[in-house]
Amino acid sequence: MTLLDFALGPGLKWSLLIMIAGLTWRVVGVFLGRWRRDLSRPRSEAVVQGGLRTIITRSAPARELEKNIRFQHITGYIWHIGFFATVLLFEPHIAFFESVLGFAWPGLPSHLALVVAAITLAVLVMLTLRRMIHPVMRMITSTDDYVSLIIIISAMVTGIMASTHMFPRYETILAVHILNVELLFIWIPFSKLGHLFFWLLSRYRIGSYFERKGVKA
Amino acid sequence: MNIPLAAMEQMNVDVAALVTKAQPTEMPDEERVARTKHVFMKRMSMGLAMNLESCINCGMCAEVCHFYMATQDPRYAPVRKFLPLRRFYRRELTPIRWINRLFVRDIRADDLKDWQELVYDSCTTCGRCDMVCPMGIGISETVRLMREGLAAAELVPSELQAVDEEQRENGTVLGIDSNQFKALVAELAAEGVNIPVDKQKADILVLSSAFNLRLFRNSIAGTAKILNKLGVDWTMSSRCFDASNFGYLSGDYPAEEMETLRIIDAARECDASVVIVPECGHAYMALRWGGANVLGRRPKFRTFAISEFIGREIQAGRLRLKTIGNGKSVTLHDSCQQVRHGGLLSEARMAIAALGLELREMESRGRTALCCGAGEGVNLINRAEPLRQKAFSLKMKEVDDTGADSLVTSCDNCRYNFLTGGAKAGWEMPVESLVELVADNLED
Repeated sequence: MTLLDFALGPGLKWSLLIMIAGLTWRVVGVFLGRWRRDLSRPRSEAVVQGGLRTIITRSAPARELEKNIRFQHITGYIWHIGFFATVLLFEPHIAFFESVLGFAWPGLPSHLALVVAAITLAVLVMLTLRRMIHPVMRMITSTDDYVSLIIIISAMVTGIMASTHMFPRYETILAVHILNVELLFIWIPFSKLGHLFFWLLSRYRIGSYFERKGVKA
Repeated sequence: MNIPLAAMEQMNVDVAALVTKAQPTEMPDEERVARTKHVFMKRMSMGLAMNLESCINCGMCAEVCHFYMATQDPRYAPVRKFLPLRRFYRRELTPIRWINRLFVRDIRADDLKDWQELVYDSCTTCGRCDMVCPMGIGISETVRLMREGLAAAELVPSELQAVDEEQRENGTVLGIDSNQFKALVAELAAEGVNIPVDKQKADILVLSSAFNLRLFRNSIAGTAKILNKLGVDWTMSSRCFDASNFGYLSGDYPAEEMETLRIIDAARECDASVVIVPECGHAYMALRWGGANVLGRRPKFRTFAISEFIGREIQAGRLRLKTIGNGKSVTLHDSCQQVRHGGLLSEARMAIAALGLELREMESRGRTALCCGAGEGVNLINRAEPLRQKAFSLKMKEVDDTGADSLVTSCDNCRYNFLTGGAKAGWEMPVESLVELVADNLED
């Protein structure tokens, strides 16, 4: 079995399994926690709507708050959109998804996908450097943050290397890229990358919590 | 305003002396940690767990926190204020704790001692950070649990501890007892303001506060004038007139329960269907939103802040005010606890509109209002004064930028901070109480 065979076979299967089982365990574990019913008389009963609204509106906070976080906000959007565009719209990725799912969708031209990936990578590197330099970020950053960044950045770098044939042995760099992505799958449930799911839950929760009091959060 | 300078000066002296009044606490470090962990465990909930699971360490909360904005000191990043709780959660409670134990160290007594300043002096649990967190973490409620943990470890700042002890043991706050309350009632009666006291049965039980009795007696008088004008059936209790809850402020949950139940009992005694809380943010939070949870069921009465009550009466057309605008403009300071946390977004504005005043809104208002820097007991912590003053400077700027003739607020604690902080900064903005403004302009 070659490295690529391993990456596309048991590596992929087990990493996905660990990710799904780990995330399920983590989310279910939180839901098994004590649920404290708020007995106070609600000012608004529309807590479900309030929660759902905040899932959306929190993507664009009030102007007087947003002006203070504009840099983080814009860079956050760029890298998240760039990352998911690269994952979902790069032709070789679509071909892979088609082999698993049985259907495909239109992708970005490969040179454009590469530009998107390069911009995303540049922003990620910049944000990593900011974590190391900015006093607040330095103080609150944990090992989890750096490990998560390293795994994502290396997945982007190996992906760019594979797609541009920068590495002499294509199969090897492709295998390394896939293994890197599998490492990301395994890391997600054990790290802050669990926010992949938690952002929905916690935004919903804060939205409904404040809605109960009559405040649009 | 009519606030006697001597009373203000005496108040400042008494607040400064609080630090010497707390009973000394001696507790072995291991016990401090054990007690804190016990509280963290006992008070943990699914919602708090979600807060602790979701943080991505983005640091955005710091950028909207008045303490960080005013100082640029990274220690004041709100997310950092609950780090010991986060450590505890990651080691002891999260579903992946068995892995985290390899990397996350346990909390130590020194952490708790170091965090006292971060949890009490530099956080008013104003909740502005709650409004920006991209994950939707309830940062302020998480910091509140930190306060409870530190209170269990007897690490409450001496000033808050002193008043908490005074209220728990003597039933008084800042030395104000029922005799002083009765004396004030008699004084006001002599001035023609009638306050019914200790009625056996009344529809409305009205509460006041030690701040009111010591400094803002016109606020009590104003409340009485409004209620008398409305002709409602109301009373005050000479045994339970103070809505302050220093258990709530200091994180001493057993004391918070005791103070809340004291008010609930007083309302039950006179069979009140409504309890009115004075212009006091934390008292409103403790009773309106915390009361049912302390009691274990909804009390029979409904709780209103006085500003809320006024707003409702104006809206219903029962309370009519003189139009006093004449080109005068005001700006409104939204108390964090009443407005962002309590939902009183429109009531004070209704009163200002009814008075015909031009309302010049601050850039940050309502749910995003900037805290004045002194809520949640920070006002009483002496060593926090320089930090408080820096945070206050941000508020002063927002107020000044409106160009309004005066500032209106409906929180005595904020008002005290505007007066003392403003005096220190040489700020000349007149500060008015909403209740007093309304009471002075009731339609004949």
